[in-house]
Amino acid sequence: MITPLHSSLGDRARPCLKKKKESGWAWWFTLVIPVLGRLRAQTIMKARLKGAQTGRNLLKKKSDALTLRFRQILKKIIETKMLMGKVMREAAFSLAEAKFTAGDFSTTVIQNVNKAQVKIRAKKDNVAGVTLPVFEHYHEGTDSYELTGLARGGEQLAKLKRNYAKAVELLVELASLQTSFVTLDEAIKITNRRVNAIEHVIIPRIERTLAYIITELDEREREEFYRLKKIQEKKKILKEKSEKDLEHRRAAGELLEPANLLAEEKDEDLLFE
Amino acid sequence: MLEGAELYFNVDHGYLEGLVRGCKASLLTQQDYINLVQCETLEDLKIHLQTTDYGNFLANQTNPLTVSKIDTEMRKRLCGEFEYFRNHSLEPLSTFLTYMTCSYMIDNVILLMNGALQKKSVKEILVKCHPLGRFTEMEAVNIAETPSDLFNAILVETPLAPFFQDCMSENALDELNIELLRNKLYKSYLETFYKFCKNHGDVTAEVMCPILEFEADRRAFIITLNSFGTELSKEDRETLYPAFGKLYPEGLRLLAQAEDFDQMKTIADHYEVYKPLFEAIGGNGGKTLEDVFYEREVQMNVLAFNRQFHYGVFYAYVKLKEQEMRNIVWIAECISQRHRTKINSYIPIL
Repeated sequence: MITPLHSSLGDRARPCLKKKKESGWAWWFTLVIPVLGRLRAQTIMKARLKGAQTGRNLLKKKSDALTLRFRQILKKIIETKMLMGKVMREAAFSLAEAKFTAGDFSTTVIQNVNKAQVKIRAKKDNVAGVTLPVFEHYHEGTDSYELTGLARGGEQLAKLKRNYAKAVELLVELASLQTSFVTLDEAIKITNRRVNAIEHVIIPRIERTLAYIITELDEREREEFYRLKKIQEKKKILKEKSEKDLEHRRAAGELLEPANLLAEEKDEDLLFE
Repeated sequence: MLEGAELYFNVDHGYLEGLVRGCKASLLTQQDYINLVQCETLEDLKIHLQTTDYGNFLANQTNPLTVSKIDTEMRKRLCGEFEYFRNHSLEPLSTFLTYMTCSYMIDNVILLMNGALQKKSVKEILVKCHPLGRFTEMEAVNIAETPSDLFNAILVETPLAPFFQDCMSENALDELNIELLRNKLYKSYLETFYKFCKNHGDVTAEVMCPILEFEADRRAFIITLNSFGTELSKEDRETLYPAFGKLYPEGLRLLAQAEDFDQMKTIADHYEVYKPLFEAIGGNGGKTLEDVFYEREVQMNVLAFNRQFHYGVFYAYVKLKEQEMRNIVWIAECISQRHRTKINSYIPIL
């Protein structure tokens, strides 16, 4: 049914519309697609409904796949963070050990920094159509601190370097997991929003339009039927009227019966019998 | 130099020797260490240190107390004591004390050179320099553009000048790897110090020379150990060994050819002083070579106090105090990081 654009009472008088939260004329468009009530429109609408439903199912599948991956990543993040805590503690302690034996080498190390030895490459991973960034580390260049602690504490420094290298690798992995986590979260929200939009807005709209078309068609059919009936009645009346007329004229004798070829006994035109 | 120096020693240096022995008596004992190890937080540690000779040295520190603050305060204290000794000393004790500061000066100079080359601000580096190694021309370092400039303008005035001349010609200062430079400077410093002590003769030579010889041998061993697997070639390695000590000259030649730890151990087994040290490595405590060397150094330094009328007491005191500082910092780190498994791996002194 088409609801009128304005009403003095507004939505309050129409209980079926009271639950609509939006106001203004925009929501009216969401109720029903403006379309003429034709049969062709009905087939079109049916096709659209089918399309919407298929779309909704596909999106739901995508959302499920993304959620599955999301949970896996979450589990991995928790594990990596726990491991990170342990590794950092180890590394901090080995720093203390190295300081004990080698003295204070921090300024030398900080001053000699020029190029990064561990670098990161960004790669792309695809999950159900969502691209996730993945970071991979690689080593480049030689160790410029090879000779630090040559006279004191070389062993502890080597151990320290190893521990912190492990920590850096773990950090890179954690970074990659966390970016995937955030990207997936966004993607899942968007997909779910779409699914909900189709399910609660588009499909009902199409269904309502279909219902409207069907009612229009029914009404038209009823109209036709009514018209037919009226025409029949009128025809009947006309027919009765003309028969009555005929009776009268026959009775008045004005009307000459046309010669009935079959009924006549004698035919004047026949010369010979 | 003088026979019967016992007669004349106290005239010039008696006061300072008495002072240094008093300071030595206030080093932390085993009981103090046991108390410190049982602390749960750094605040407890501070309270325990207040009962020792350290007193209220941490009283002005704001919260939170960190290990680096403790370290800086202790170092300031040691510096103060050392400056007092130096200011009140006469020749030849003052030259001896200057020699002691040379090792810190070498570290500071390397730091400054590096900083100047990288165009870092001098103020930041000055803060990081070791206070015992201060010399007057430090602030002027940033004027120099290249290391040779640095040498000609500034380092020529410091006591380090002869060491630079020993190592290399001035032109070669540019290309040399900083670490190699540091080690070469240290080698020539040790050699000069050794000659000075030997020429002084008397009890000082008797006490200081074994200590310095041990230092030279220790450097040779550690450099060899740490250069396995690096790009340091054998010839380069040989130039870093000081030219004195028990290992000189055959041991050093053998060490230069060593390829791994076991070969080093067999070389050490020839010398009956080092044989038990190498055997003590590993075991239950997980001691490394450096740990056993530290212990031996502490032993020798403590023995130096058994003789009187020599300058070795000053050297020994400073070294022992440094070791004590390292121990306290180690215990403090273990406490603050809550990693108490190795808290007992400090080196006990008394």
